[in-house]
Amino acid sequence: MLSCMEMCVQLFLSVFKDLVGSEVTVELKDDLAVRGTLHAVDQFLNFKLVNVRVVDPDKHPHMFSVQNCFIRGSAVRYVQLPPNEVDVELLQDATRREARSS
Amino acid sequence: MASGLRIVTERVGDGAGQPVLDPDNGEELMHVQPGVSIVLGNRPPESPGTLYISTKQVVWLSDTDRAKGYAVDFVSLSLHAVSRDPDAYHSPCIYTQIETGAEELESEDSDSESDNILNLSKITEMRLVPSDPNQLDTLFAIFCECAELNPDPIEAEGEDGHNWVFSADQLEDDGGEDDDSEWAIPENSSHSIGSNGNHDLAHSVVQLHINDQRFEDAEEMEQDDKNGHH
Repeated sequence: MLSCMEMCVQLFLSVFKDLVGSEVTVELKDDLAVRGTLHAVDQFLNFKLVNVRVVDPDKHPHMFSVQNCFIRGSAVRYVQLPPNEVDVELLQDATRREARSS
Repeated sequence: MASGLRIVTERVGDGAGQPVLDPDNGEELMHVQPGVSIVLGNRPPESPGTLYISTKQVVWLSDTDRAKGYAVDFVSLSLHAVSRDPDAYHSPCIYTQIETGAEELESEDSDSESDNILNLSKITEMRLVPSDPNQLDTLFAIFCECAELNPDPIEAEGEDGHNWVFSADQLEDDGGEDDDSEWAIPENSSHSIGSNGNHDLAHSVVQLHINDQRFEDAEEMEQDDKNGHH
């Protein structure tokens, strides 16, 4: 039996699985934002990105660009998705159904 | 909750020694990398040293000073990466960000090198520079493996009082939280939310075995679930 939290994670996981190979911007809770190609995502919503660069290098000069990057799921605040790659209507529908059933 | 970087003064063994681990609680040593210098924040590199990666933490011990060492738990590492950009740092290294739990302090610059006492709680960036840059990919992979072994404890998800438990079975069964991270790197995903996907995502959400009887009377039971929490 899955808790509501686990179902939400499953939903997000399925969104991110589809976005593997796309460019995403991950904003961490400490305000750092990095942009890169989504390489992989796991069930803890940890992210692996490749070809990563910092969105605002002036704020974070020590981390211009890195090849491989692992981001802890719990450190993430937002993930900006490419609008062309996500069927927004379908996603809204799925989240609405989930909210209703809980 | 995240503790950040800490000083390590205890060691076991002769010579330069090894870090004290906690095997009774399942902590194991995963990798040892000699010839690593450590860079904390904006400070100059410290070396020579040896890096010890366990299933719970990263420990750096000075090869020459038995009283000098640093450690950080994997739960406190919000990000790690292979840095080869000479504009970012002059040597190829593993770059890590440390979650200290403290607010970002504007006065960090004034405290850095002139202070005799290093305030580790302010350190949010750590670089590990191996003398052999060919080891970077290996180190990165091991960091990933160990990070996956250290997800946030489940209690953290219920911080506003809601545990989102819908049946008593959940309290015993950790079915949703596997120890082994399962990475999704699909070649041909059958579940597509993309614009060209025909798959019904809503259908697959329903397929997540919603068998709990409480769902059947959603409107009535909602009130009870919020108020009556046993």
